[in-house]
Amino acid sequence: MTTDVAAHRPAAGWLAHAVMMPLAFVSIFPVWWMFVTSLRPENDIYSRLPWPSAPTLDNYAYAIQAIPVWAMLWNTLVYSALATAAQLLTAILAAYAFARWRFLFDRALFALIALTWLVPFQVVMIPNYVLVSQMGLIDTIAALVVPNLASAFAILLLVQSMRSFPSEVIEAAHMDGAGHWRILWRILVPNLRAPLAALAILLFISSWNDYFWPLLLTRSERSTVIQIGIQMFLTEEGNQWGPLMAISSLACLPVLALYAVLQRQVIDSFVKAGLK
Amino acid sequence: MTETATIAPPLRGVLSHWLRRQPLAPWLYLAPAAAALIVWIYAPLGYALWLSFHEWNMLPFASIRSVGTQNYERLLELPEMGQALRNTLVYLVGLLPLTVVLPVAAAILTHELKGRWRNIYRGLIFVPLIIAPVAAAAVWRWILDPDFGLLNTGLKALGLEPLRFLQDPDLTIWSIIWITGWKLIGFSTLIVSASLANINPSLIEAARMDGASEWQVTRRIRLPLLSPVIFLLILLTILLGAQWSFTYIHVLTQGGPLGTSNNIYYLLWQFGFGGLAAGWASAAGIILFAGFGLVAVALLWLMNKVTFHDN
Repeated sequence: MTTDVAAHRPAAGWLAHAVMMPLAFVSIFPVWWMFVTSLRPENDIYSRLPWPSAPTLDNYAYAIQAIPVWAMLWNTLVYSALATAAQLLTAILAAYAFARWRFLFDRALFALIALTWLVPFQVVMIPNYVLVSQMGLIDTIAALVVPNLASAFAILLLVQSMRSFPSEVIEAAHMDGAGHWRILWRILVPNLRAPLAALAILLFISSWNDYFWPLLLTRSERSTVIQIGIQMFLTEEGNQWGPLMAISSLACLPVLALYAVLQRQVIDSFVKAGLK
Repeated sequence: MTETATIAPPLRGVLSHWLRRQPLAPWLYLAPAAAALIVWIYAPLGYALWLSFHEWNMLPFASIRSVGTQNYERLLELPEMGQALRNTLVYLVGLLPLTVVLPVAAAILTHELKGRWRNIYRGLIFVPLIIAPVAAAAVWRWILDPDFGLLNTGLKALGLEPLRFLQDPDLTIWSIIWITGWKLIGFSTLIVSASLANINPSLIEAARMDGASEWQVTRRIRLPLLSPVIFLLILLTILLGAQWSFTYIHVLTQGGPLGTSNNIYYLLWQFGFGGLAAGWASAAGIILFAGFGLVAVALLWLMNKVTFHDN
Protein backbone atom coordinates (compact mmCIF):
# COMPACT_ATOMS: atom_id res chain seq x y z
CA MET A 1 0.00 0.00 0.00
CA THR A 2 2.71 2.38 0.90
CA THR A 3 4.46 1.59 -2.39
CA ASP A 4 1.38 2.94 -4.19
CA VAL A 5 1.73 6.16 -2.28
CA ALA A 6 5.41 6.36 -3.14
CA ALA A 7 4.52 5.90 -6.81
CA HIS A 8 2.31 8.97 -6.59
CA ARG A 9 5.13 11.00 -5.13
CA PRO A 10 8.42 10.08 -6.79
CA ALA A 11 10.22 12.74 -4.72
CA ALA A 12 9.75 10.59 -1.60
CA GLY A 13 12.06 7.89 -3.00
CA TRP A 14 14.84 10.41 -3.58
CA LEU A 15 14.35 11.83 -0.12
CA ALA A 16 14.80 8.36 1.35
CA HIS A 17 18.04 7.89 -0.56
CA ALA A 18 19.20 11.36 0.43
CA VAL A 19 18.76 10.37 4.10
CA MET A 20 20.04 6.82 3.91
CA MET A 21 23.12 7.39 1.78
CA PRO A 22 24.91 9.70 4.23
CA LEU A 23 23.84 7.48 7.12
CA ALA A 24 25.18 4.37 5.42
CA PHE A 25 28.35 6.23 4.47
CA VAL A 26 29.00 7.43 8.01
CA SER A 27 28.35 3.91 9.31
CA ILE A 28 30.62 2.09 6.95
CA PHE A 29 33.38 4.55 6.13
CA PRO A 30 35.42 4.24 9.37
CA VAL A 31 35.45 0.46 8.92
CA TRP A 32 36.54 0.85 5.31
CA TRP A 33 39.24 3.34 6.35
CA MET A 34 40.51 0.82 8.91
CA PHE A 35 41.00 -1.85 6.24
CA VAL A 36 42.47 0.61 3.74
CA THR A 37 44.99 1.96 6.24
CA SER A 38 45.96 -1.56 7.29
CA LEU A 39 46.89 -2.38 3.68
CA ARG A 40 49.03 0.69 3.03
CA PRO A 41 52.84 0.50 3.06
CA GLU A 42 54.52 2.48 5.84
CA ASN A 43 55.70 5.34 3.60
CA ASP A 44 52.16 5.79 2.29
CA ILE A 45 50.32 5.62 5.62
CA TYR A 46 49.22 9.28 5.51
CA SER A 47 47.79 8.93 2.01
CA ARG A 48 44.30 10.33 1.60
CA LEU A 49 43.29 8.09 -1.27
CA PRO A 50 40.14 6.14 -0.37
CA TRP A 51 41.85 2.88 -1.45
CA PRO A 52 45.36 1.48 -1.00
CA SER A 53 47.43 2.38 -4.05
CA ALA A 54 50.01 -0.36 -3.49
CA PRO A 55 48.38 -2.86 -1.11
CA THR A 56 50.74 -4.82 1.13
CA LEU A 57 50.42 -7.11 4.13
CA ASP A 58 53.49 -5.60 5.84
CA ASN A 59 51.43 -4.16 8.69
CA TYR A 60 49.89 -7.55 9.39
CA ALA A 61 53.32 -9.18 9.36
CA TYR A 62 54.59 -6.53 11.77
CA ALA A 63 51.68 -7.00 14.18
CA ILE A 64 52.07 -10.78 14.11
CA GLN A 65 55.73 -10.66 15.08
CA ALA A 66 55.15 -7.98 17.74
CA ILE A 67 52.49 -9.84 19.73
CA PRO A 68 51.19 -13.44 19.63
CA VAL A 69 48.24 -12.63 17.37
CA TRP A 70 47.41 -16.24 16.47
CA ALA A 71 47.31 -17.36 20.09
CA MET A 72 45.09 -14.40 20.92
CA LEU A 73 42.71 -15.12 18.05
CA TRP A 74 42.58 -18.77 19.10
CA ASN A 75 41.87 -17.81 22.72
CA THR A 76 39.12 -15.45 21.59
CA LEU A 77 37.60 -18.18 19.46
CA VAL A 78 37.71 -20.75 22.28
CA TYR A 79 36.28 -18.31 24.80
CA SER A 80 33.49 -17.13 22.49
CA ALA A 81 32.57 -20.67 21.40
CA LEU A 82 32.47 -22.00 24.98
CA ALA A 83 30.54 -19.03 26.34
CA THR A 84 28.06 -19.20 23.45
CA ALA A 85 27.51 -22.94 23.88
CA ALA A 86 27.03 -22.60 27.64
CA GLN A 87 24.67 -19.63 27.33
CA LEU A 88 22.61 -21.39 24.67
CA LEU A 89 22.32 -24.55 26.73
CA THR A 90 21.34 -22.85 29.99
CA ALA A 91 18.94 -20.56 28.12
CA ILE A 92 17.23 -23.40 26.25
CA LEU A 93 16.61 -25.25 29.52
CA ALA A 94 15.47 -22.20 31.47
CA ALA A 95 13.27 -20.92 28.66
CA TYR A 96 11.57 -24.31 28.45
CA ALA A 97 10.76 -24.15 32.16
CA PHE A 98 9.13 -20.72 31.76
CA ALA A 99 7.35 -21.53 28.52
CA ARG A 100 5.97 -24.92 29.60
CA TRP A 101 5.01 -24.71 33.27
CA ARG A 102 3.29 -22.44 35.71
CA PHE A 103 5.01 -22.87 39.03
CA LEU A 104 5.49 -21.20 42.39
CA PHE A 105 7.15 -17.78 42.00
CA ASP A 106 7.55 -18.20 38.25
CA ARG A 107 6.78 -14.55 37.54
CA ALA A 108 9.05 -13.35 40.30
CA LEU A 109 11.88 -15.54 39.03
CA PHE A 110 11.36 -14.30 35.50
CA ALA A 111 11.52 -10.72 36.75
CA LEU A 112 14.69 -11.47 38.71
CA ILE A 113 16.32 -12.81 35.56
CA ALA A 114 15.22 -9.78 33.54
CA LEU A 115 16.49 -7.50 36.31
CA THR A 116 20.06 -8.73 35.93
CA TRP A 117 20.19 -6.25 33.04
CA LEU A 118 20.05 -3.43 35.53
CA VAL A 119 23.07 -4.63 37.48
CA PRO A 120 26.04 -2.71 36.13
CA PHE A 121 29.12 -4.77 35.42
CA GLN A 122 31.14 -2.37 37.56
CA VAL A 123 29.11 -3.25 40.65
CA VAL A 124 29.78 -6.97 40.52
CA MET A 125 33.26 -6.86 39.03
CA ILE A 126 35.15 -6.82 42.33
CA PRO A 127 33.26 -9.73 43.94
CA ASN A 128 33.55 -11.68 40.69
CA TYR A 129 37.25 -10.96 40.46
CA VAL A 130 37.69 -12.19 44.03
CA LEU A 131 35.71 -15.35 43.29
CA VAL A 132 37.63 -16.15 40.12
CA SER A 133 40.95 -15.66 41.86
CA GLN A 134 39.84 -17.88 44.75
CA MET A 135 39.06 -20.55 42.18
CA GLY A 136 42.64 -20.18 40.97
CA LEU A 137 41.54 -19.34 37.45
CA ILE A 138 43.24 -15.96 36.91
CA ASP A 139 45.03 -15.86 33.58
CA THR A 140 43.11 -18.76 32.05
CA ILE A 141 40.40 -18.97 29.41
CA ALA A 142 38.17 -20.71 31.97
CA ALA A 143 38.22 -17.50 34.03
CA LEU A 144 36.58 -15.70 31.13
CA VAL A 145 33.97 -18.39 30.55
CA VAL A 146 32.71 -19.16 34.07
CA PRO A 147 31.12 -15.77 34.80
CA ASN A 148 29.35 -16.01 31.43
CA LEU A 149 27.55 -19.33 31.69
CA ALA A 150 24.08 -17.81 31.54
CA SER A 151 22.70 -14.85 29.64
CA ALA A 152 19.47 -13.14 30.70
CA PHE A 153 19.09 -11.76 27.16
CA ALA A 154 19.20 -15.29 25.70
CA ILE A 155 16.65 -16.59 28.19
CA LEU A 156 14.18 -13.76 27.56
CA LEU A 157 14.51 -14.11 23.80
CA LEU A 158 14.00 -17.87 23.85
CA VAL A 159 11.01 -17.73 26.19
CA GLN A 160 9.37 -15.51 23.58
CA SER A 161 10.03 -17.90 20.71
CA MET A 162 9.06 -21.01 22.70
CA ARG A 163 5.80 -19.42 23.86
CA SER A 164 4.86 -18.58 20.28
CA PHE A 165 5.51 -22.16 19.16
CA PRO A 166 2.19 -23.92 18.31
CA SER A 167 1.13 -25.81 21.40
CA GLU A 168 -0.87 -28.38 19.37
CA VAL A 169 2.36 -29.88 18.07
CA ILE A 170 3.67 -30.25 21.61
CA GLU A 171 0.36 -31.68 22.86
CA ALA A 172 0.39 -34.23 20.05
CA ALA A 173 3.90 -35.35 20.97
CA HIS A 174 2.77 -35.54 24.58
CA MET A 175 -0.08 -37.86 23.55
CA ASP A 176 2.42 -40.10 21.82
CA GLY A 177 4.13 -40.52 25.16
CA ALA A 178 7.09 -38.19 24.61
CA GLY A 179 8.54 -36.80 27.83
CA HIS A 180 9.61 -33.20 28.38
CA TRP A 181 13.24 -33.88 27.66
CA ARG A 182 12.37 -35.53 24.36
CA ILE A 183 9.90 -32.82 23.37
CA LEU A 184 12.48 -30.13 24.06
CA TRP A 185 15.33 -31.67 22.09
CA ARG A 186 13.44 -33.53 19.36
CA ILE A 187 10.69 -31.03 18.59
CA LEU A 188 11.34 -27.56 19.97
CA VAL A 189 15.05 -27.22 19.34
CA PRO A 190 15.02 -28.51 15.73
CA ASN A 191 12.02 -26.34 14.91
CA LEU A 192 13.54 -23.25 16.48
CA ARG A 193 16.75 -23.64 14.48
CA ALA A 194 16.48 -20.17 12.90
CA PRO A 195 16.04 -18.11 16.08
CA LEU A 196 18.59 -20.30 17.86
CA ALA A 197 21.15 -19.73 15.11
CA ALA A 198 20.59 -15.98 15.19
CA LEU A 199 20.85 -15.94 18.96
CA ALA A 200 24.05 -17.99 18.81
CA ILE A 201 25.57 -15.44 16.45
CA LEU A 202 24.63 -12.53 18.69
CA LEU A 203 26.07 -14.28 21.75
CA PHE A 204 29.21 -15.19 19.84
CA ILE A 205 29.73 -11.64 18.60
CA SER A 206 29.22 -10.13 22.02
CA SER A 207 31.70 -12.56 23.62
CA TRP A 208 34.15 -11.99 20.79
CA ASN A 209 34.00 -8.23 21.40
CA ASP A 210 34.32 -8.59 25.16
CA TYR A 211 37.03 -6.42 26.52
CA PHE A 212 36.68 -5.74 30.23
CA TRP A 213 36.62 -9.25 31.65
CA PRO A 214 39.72 -10.23 29.71
CA LEU A 215 41.40 -7.00 30.79
CA LEU A 216 40.70 -7.82 34.44
CA LEU A 217 41.31 -11.53 34.42
CA THR A 218 44.22 -12.23 32.10
CA ARG A 219 47.80 -11.33 32.73
CA SER A 220 50.07 -12.68 30.01
CA GLU A 221 50.05 -11.99 26.28
CA ARG A 222 49.72 -15.67 25.42
CA SER A 223 46.58 -16.25 27.44
CA THR A 224 44.61 -13.16 26.51
CA VAL A 225 42.18 -12.27 23.73
CA ILE A 226 42.55 -10.22 20.56
CA GLN A 227 40.78 -7.17 22.00
CA ILE A 228 43.60 -6.79 24.52
CA GLY A 229 46.02 -7.13 21.60
CA ILE A 230 44.47 -4.04 19.99
CA GLN A 231 44.79 -2.22 23.26
CA MET A 232 48.52 -3.06 23.45
CA PHE A 233 49.06 -1.19 20.20
CA LEU A 234 46.85 1.66 21.32
CA THR A 235 48.74 2.33 24.51
CA GLU A 236 52.21 2.06 23.01
CA GLU A 237 54.26 5.21 22.79
CA GLY A 238 53.84 6.86 19.43
CA ASN A 239 51.15 5.79 17.06
CA GLN A 240 51.87 2.96 14.67
CA TRP A 241 48.73 3.45 12.67
CA GLY A 242 49.43 0.71 10.12
CA PRO A 243 49.90 -2.18 12.58
CA LEU A 244 47.14 -0.82 14.83
CA MET A 245 44.69 -0.86 11.93
CA ALA A 246 45.97 -4.30 10.87
CA ILE A 247 45.27 -5.87 14.25
CA SER A 248 41.92 -4.08 14.51
CA SER A 249 41.01 -5.48 11.10
CA LEU A 250 42.03 -8.97 12.20
CA ALA A 251 39.81 -8.64 15.26
CA CYS A 252 36.85 -7.49 13.16
CA LEU A 253 37.20 -9.84 10.19
CA PRO A 254 35.73 -13.01 11.74
CA VAL A 255 32.71 -11.11 13.04
CA LEU A 256 32.19 -9.29 9.74
CA ALA A 257 32.50 -12.55 7.81
CA LEU A 258 29.90 -14.19 10.04
CA TYR A 259 27.69 -11.16 9.60
CA ALA A 260 28.11 -11.13 5.82
CA VAL A 261 26.91 -14.73 5.58
CA LEU A 262 23.98 -14.49 7.99
CA GLN A 263 23.22 -10.80 7.72
CA ARG A 264 19.46 -10.94 7.43
CA GLN A 265 18.92 -13.34 10.34
CA VAL A 266 21.23 -11.29 12.55
CA ILE A 267 19.42 -8.03 11.82
CA ASP A 268 15.98 -9.57 12.19
CA SER A 269 16.69 -11.13 15.54
CA PHE A 270 18.44 -8.01 16.85
CA VAL A 271 15.56 -5.82 15.84
CA LYS A 272 13.01 -8.25 17.23
CA ALA A 273 14.90 -8.39 20.49
CA GLY A 274 14.92 -4.61 20.59
CA LEU A 275 11.20 -4.37 19.96
CA LYS A 276 10.33 -6.56 22.91
CA MET B 1 -0.53 -18.37 71.37
CA THR B 2 -3.33 -20.90 71.51
CA GLU B 3 -4.77 -19.41 68.40
CA THR B 4 -1.65 -19.90 66.34
CA ALA B 5 -1.30 -23.39 67.74
CA THR B 6 -4.72 -24.37 66.53
CA ILE B 7 -4.35 -22.70 63.15
CA ALA B 8 -0.82 -23.78 62.43
CA PRO B 9 -1.25 -27.53 61.83
CA PRO B 10 -3.96 -27.30 59.16
CA LEU B 11 -2.13 -24.38 57.57
CA ARG B 12 1.05 -26.40 57.44
CA GLY B 13 -0.91 -29.28 56.00
CA VAL B 14 -2.32 -27.11 53.24
CA LEU B 15 1.07 -25.64 52.52
CA SER B 16 2.86 -28.95 52.30
CA HIS B 17 0.07 -30.44 50.26
CA TRP B 18 0.27 -27.50 47.90
CA LEU B 19 4.06 -27.74 47.75
CA ARG B 20 3.84 -31.42 46.91
CA ARG B 21 1.55 -30.60 44.02
CA GLN B 22 4.17 -28.24 42.61
CA PRO B 23 6.03 -29.89 39.74
CA LEU B 24 9.73 -30.41 40.35
CA ALA B 25 10.68 -30.48 36.69
CA PRO B 26 10.68 -26.70 35.98
CA TRP B 27 13.11 -26.19 38.84
CA LEU B 28 15.47 -28.74 37.38
CA TYR B 29 15.34 -27.07 33.98
CA LEU B 30 15.86 -23.69 35.57
CA ALA B 31 18.67 -24.76 37.87
CA PRO B 32 21.74 -24.26 35.63
CA ALA B 33 20.82 -20.74 34.54
CA ALA B 34 19.61 -19.77 38.00
CA ALA B 35 22.77 -21.08 39.63
CA ALA B 36 24.96 -19.12 37.23
CA LEU B 37 23.02 -15.90 37.76
CA ILE B 38 23.00 -16.31 41.53
CA VAL B 39 26.71 -17.06 41.75
CA TRP B 40 27.83 -14.36 39.32
CA ILE B 41 25.27 -11.59 39.75
CA TYR B 42 23.05 -11.74 42.82
CA ALA B 43 25.56 -13.08 45.34
CA PRO B 44 28.17 -10.56 44.12
CA LEU B 45 25.60 -7.82 44.46
CA GLY B 46 25.13 -8.79 48.11
CA TYR B 47 28.88 -9.07 48.60
CA ALA B 48 29.36 -5.62 47.04
CA LEU B 49 26.78 -4.22 49.44
CA TRP B 50 28.68 -5.76 52.35
CA LEU B 51 32.05 -4.57 51.02
CA SER B 52 30.71 -1.04 50.68
CA PHE B 53 30.68 -0.77 54.48
CA HIS B 54 34.25 -2.00 54.76
CA GLU B 55 37.78 -1.01 53.90
CA TRP B 56 39.94 -3.43 51.95
CA ASN B 57 42.84 -3.02 49.54
CA MET B 58 41.97 -6.22 47.64
CA LEU B 59 45.12 -8.12 48.55
CA PRO B 60 44.20 -11.70 49.52
CA PHE B 61 45.72 -11.62 53.01
CA ALA B 62 45.03 -8.02 53.90
CA SER B 63 42.48 -7.55 56.64
CA ILE B 64 39.00 -6.21 55.93
CA ARG B 65 37.97 -3.48 58.32
CA SER B 66 34.44 -2.31 59.02
CA VAL B 67 34.03 1.42 58.52
CA GLY B 68 30.27 1.93 58.70
CA THR B 69 28.89 4.42 56.20
CA GLN B 70 32.20 6.26 55.87
CA ASN B 71 32.76 5.11 52.26
CA TYR B 72 29.46 6.58 51.21
CA GLU B 73 30.01 9.84 53.03
CA ARG B 74 33.45 10.37 51.59
CA LEU B 75 32.30 9.46 48.10
CA LEU B 76 29.46 11.92 48.12
CA GLU B 77 31.85 14.65 49.26
CA LEU B 78 34.44 13.83 46.59
CA PRO B 79 35.11 16.75 44.24
CA GLU B 80 35.45 14.37 41.24
CA MET B 81 32.05 12.90 42.03
CA GLY B 82 30.24 16.11 41.17
CA GLN B 83 32.12 16.48 37.90
CA ALA B 84 31.54 12.83 36.96
CA LEU B 85 27.83 13.14 37.70
CA ARG B 86 27.53 16.31 35.61
CA ASN B 87 29.43 14.62 32.79
CA THR B 88 27.18 11.56 33.02
CA LEU B 89 24.26 13.91 32.43
CA VAL B 90 26.06 15.51 29.47
CA TYR B 91 26.68 12.04 28.03
CA LEU B 92 23.01 11.15 28.30
CA VAL B 93 21.72 14.39 26.86
CA GLY B 94 24.36 14.31 24.13
CA LEU B 95 23.52 10.75 23.18
CA LEU B 96 19.77 11.25 22.85
CA PRO B 97 19.96 13.06 19.47
CA LEU B 98 22.08 10.22 18.10
CA THR B 99 20.17 7.30 19.60
CA VAL B 100 16.62 8.70 19.42
CA VAL B 101 16.02 11.91 17.44
CA LEU B 102 18.09 11.11 14.35
CA PRO B 103 16.93 7.47 14.11
CA VAL B 104 13.26 8.45 14.41
CA ALA B 105 13.67 11.13 11.74
CA ALA B 106 15.64 8.79 9.46
CA ALA B 107 13.14 5.96 9.88
CA ILE B 108 10.15 8.19 9.11
CA LEU B 109 11.81 9.82 6.10
CA THR B 110 12.79 6.46 4.65
CA HIS B 111 9.78 4.32 5.46
CA GLU B 112 8.74 4.19 1.82
CA LEU B 113 12.01 2.59 0.80
CA LYS B 114 11.42 -1.01 -0.24
CA GLY B 115 13.17 -3.97 -1.79
CA ARG B 116 16.82 -4.28 -2.64
CA TRP B 117 17.95 -0.81 -1.63
CA ARG B 118 16.29 -1.12 1.72
CA ASN B 119 18.16 -4.35 2.43
CA ILE B 120 21.47 -2.86 1.32
CA TYR B 121 21.08 0.17 3.58
CA ARG B 122 19.91 -1.99 6.47
CA GLY B 123 22.93 -4.22 6.10
CA LEU B 124 25.33 -1.26 6.05
CA ILE B 125 23.98 0.86 8.89
CA PHE B 126 24.00 -2.14 11.21
CA VAL B 127 27.75 -2.72 10.85
CA PRO B 128 28.99 -0.29 13.56
CA LEU B 129 27.06 -2.22 16.21
CA ILE B 130 28.95 -5.46 15.64
CA ILE B 131 32.40 -3.87 15.36
CA ALA B 132 34.46 -4.51 18.50
CA PRO B 133 34.43 -1.40 20.71
CA VAL B 134 38.21 -1.44 21.04
CA ALA B 135 38.61 -1.61 17.26
CA ALA B 136 36.10 1.23 16.87
CA ALA B 137 38.08 3.26 19.40
CA ALA B 138 41.28 2.58 17.44
CA VAL B 139 39.76 3.65 14.11
CA TRP B 140 38.26 6.81 15.52
CA ARG B 141 41.49 7.73 17.22
CA TRP B 142 43.15 7.46 13.81
CA ILE B 143 40.45 9.49 12.05
CA LEU B 144 40.45 12.13 14.83
CA ASP B 145 44.25 12.35 15.14
CA PRO B 146 45.24 16.03 15.58
CA ASP B 147 48.14 15.89 13.10
CA PHE B 148 47.42 13.32 10.42
CA GLY B 149 43.81 12.30 11.00
CA LEU B 150 41.45 12.37 8.05
CA LEU B 151 39.08 14.83 9.66
CA ASN B 152 41.75 17.38 10.45
CA THR B 153 43.24 17.02 6.97
CA GLY B 154 39.79 17.93 5.72
CA LEU B 155 39.57 20.93 8.05
CA LYS B 156 43.01 22.13 6.96
CA ALA B 157 42.06 21.74 3.31
CA LEU B 158 39.11 24.02 4.00
CA GLY B 159 41.49 26.54 5.54
CA LEU B 160 40.33 25.88 9.11
CA GLU B 161 42.37 25.30 12.23
CA PRO B 162 42.83 21.60 13.07
CA LEU B 163 40.91 20.48 16.17
CA ARG B 164 42.33 18.38 18.99
CA PHE B 165 39.27 16.15 19.24
CA LEU B 166 40.55 13.84 21.95
CA GLN B 167 42.87 16.26 23.75
CA ASP B 168 40.98 19.54 24.00
CA PRO B 169 39.07 19.68 27.34
CA ASP B 170 36.13 21.36 25.61
CA LEU B 171 35.87 18.78 22.83
CA THR B 172 36.81 15.43 24.30
CA ILE B 173 33.47 14.54 25.85
CA TRP B 174 31.69 15.33 22.57
CA SER B 175 34.11 13.14 20.62
CA ILE B 176 33.41 10.24 22.98
CA ILE B 177 29.66 10.89 22.70
CA TRP B 178 29.95 10.82 18.93
CA ILE B 179 31.85 7.51 18.91
CA THR B 180 29.35 5.96 21.34
CA GLY B 181 26.45 7.25 19.25
CA TRP B 182 28.03 6.19 15.96
CA LYS B 183 27.73 2.58 17.06
CA LEU B 184 24.02 2.95 17.80
CA ILE B 185 22.45 5.23 15.14
CA GLY B 186 21.91 2.44 12.63
CA PHE B 187 20.61 -0.03 15.19
CA SER B 188 18.12 2.47 16.60
CA THR B 189 17.00 3.38 13.09
CA LEU B 190 16.31 -0.28 12.34
CA ILE B 191 14.26 -0.68 15.51
CA VAL B 192 12.16 2.40 14.73
CA SER B 193 11.72 1.22 11.12
CA ALA B 194 10.49 -2.17 12.27
CA SER B 195 8.05 -0.49 14.59
CA LEU B 196 6.84 1.81 11.78
CA ALA B 197 6.26 -1.18 9.54
CA ASN B 198 3.94 -2.58 12.20
CA ILE B 199 1.57 0.38 11.98
CA ASN B 200 -1.71 -0.60 10.41
CA PRO B 201 -1.66 1.02 6.92
CA SER B 202 -5.43 1.48 6.89
CA LEU B 203 -5.06 4.11 9.64
CA ILE B 204 -2.82 6.16 7.39
CA GLU B 205 -4.98 5.56 4.32
CA ALA B 206 -8.02 6.76 6.22
CA ALA B 207 -6.25 9.93 7.32
CA ARG B 208 -5.15 10.60 3.73
CA MET B 209 -8.74 10.16 2.55
CA ASP B 210 -9.69 12.86 5.02
CA GLY B 211 -7.16 15.11 3.34
CA ALA B 212 -4.40 14.93 5.95
CA SER B 213 -1.02 16.17 4.75
CA GLU B 214 2.10 14.03 5.09
CA TRP B 215 3.22 16.14 8.05
CA GLN B 216 -0.15 15.74 9.76
CA VAL B 217 -0.06 11.98 9.23
CA THR B 218 3.38 11.86 10.85
CA ARG B 219 2.48 14.23 13.65
CA ARG B 220 -0.93 12.74 14.51
CA ILE B 221 -0.54 9.06 13.67
CA ARG B 222 3.03 7.88 13.27
CA LEU B 223 4.64 9.66 16.19
CA PRO B 224 1.97 8.68 18.74
CA LEU B 225 2.11 5.08 17.57
CA LEU B 226 5.90 5.15 17.78
CA SER B 227 5.82 6.43 21.35
CA PRO B 228 6.46 3.02 22.97
CA VAL B 229 9.58 2.40 20.90
CA ILE B 230 10.75 6.00 21.36
CA PHE B 231 10.40 5.57 25.10
CA LEU B 232 12.25 2.29 24.94
CA LEU B 233 15.18 3.98 23.17
CA ILE B 234 15.20 6.83 25.67
CA LEU B 235 15.11 4.32 28.51
CA LEU B 236 18.00 2.30 27.06
CA THR B 237 20.05 5.44 26.45
CA ILE B 238 19.53 6.78 29.95
CA LEU B 239 20.16 3.45 31.66
CA LEU B 240 23.01 2.22 29.50
CA GLY B 241 24.46 5.31 27.82
CA ALA B 242 27.10 5.95 30.45
CA GLN B 243 28.05 2.29 30.34
CA TRP B 244 28.34 2.19 26.55
CA SER B 245 30.85 5.03 26.56
CA PHE B 246 32.96 3.23 29.17
CA THR B 247 35.27 1.41 26.75
CA TYR B 248 35.92 4.53 24.70
CA ILE B 249 36.74 6.57 27.77
CA HIS B 250 39.08 3.88 29.00
CA VAL B 251 40.86 3.34 25.72
CA LEU B 252 40.94 6.91 24.43
CA THR B 253 41.04 9.42 27.28
CA GLN B 254 41.08 7.67 30.68
CA GLY B 255 38.56 10.29 31.73
CA GLY B 256 40.88 13.17 30.86
CA PRO B 257 41.94 15.79 30.16
CA LEU B 258 41.37 17.02 33.72
CA GLY B 259 38.43 14.69 34.19
CA THR B 260 36.42 16.45 31.48
CA SER B 261 35.38 13.19 29.82
CA ASN B 262 35.03 11.18 33.02
CA ASN B 263 31.67 9.71 33.86
CA ILE B 264 30.30 7.97 36.89
CA TYR B 265 31.05 4.50 35.59
CA TYR B 266 34.61 5.28 34.74
CA LEU B 267 35.21 7.02 38.05
CA LEU B 268 34.09 3.81 39.72
CA TRP B 269 36.54 1.79 37.70
CA GLN B 270 39.36 4.10 38.70
CA PHE B 271 38.45 3.79 42.37
CA GLY B 272 38.22 0.02 42.36
CA PHE B 273 41.19 -0.91 40.25
CA GLY B 274 43.27 2.24 40.01
CA GLY B 275 43.28 2.87 43.74
CA LEU B 276 42.72 -0.75 44.87
CA ALA B 277 40.00 0.53 47.19
CA ALA B 278 37.37 -2.19 47.09
CA GLY B 279 35.17 -0.52 49.72
CA TRP B 280 34.98 2.77 47.87
CA ALA B 281 34.38 1.11 44.53
CA SER B 282 31.62 -1.06 45.95
CA ALA B 283 29.96 1.89 47.65
CA ALA B 284 30.06 3.82 44.38
CA GLY B 285 28.66 0.77 42.58
CA ILE B 286 25.79 0.47 45.02
CA ILE B 287 25.00 4.17 44.68
CA LEU B 288 24.93 3.68 40.91
CA PHE B 289 22.78 0.60 41.05
CA ALA B 290 20.30 2.23 43.41
CA GLY B 291 20.29 5.49 41.44
CA PHE B 292 19.81 3.89 38.05
CA GLY B 293 17.30 1.45 39.51
CA LEU B 294 15.15 4.34 40.76
CA VAL B 295 15.46 6.10 37.41
CA ALA B 296 14.40 2.88 35.65
CA VAL B 297 11.34 2.43 37.86
CA ALA B 298 10.35 6.08 37.38
CA LEU B 299 10.78 5.84 33.60
CA LEU B 300 8.82 2.61 33.32
CA TRP B 301 6.01 4.16 35.33
CA LEU B 302 6.08 7.23 33.09
CA MET B 303 6.17 5.02 30.00
CA ASN B 304 2.98 3.27 30.99
CA LYS B 305 1.30 6.63 31.63
CA VAL B 306 2.38 8.51 28.53
CA THR B 307 2.76 6.07 25.66
CA PHE B 308 -0.04 5.46 23.26
CA HIS B 309 -1.11 1.99 22.18
CA ASP B 310 -2.69 0.96 18.90
CA ASN B 311 -4.95 -1.74 20.29
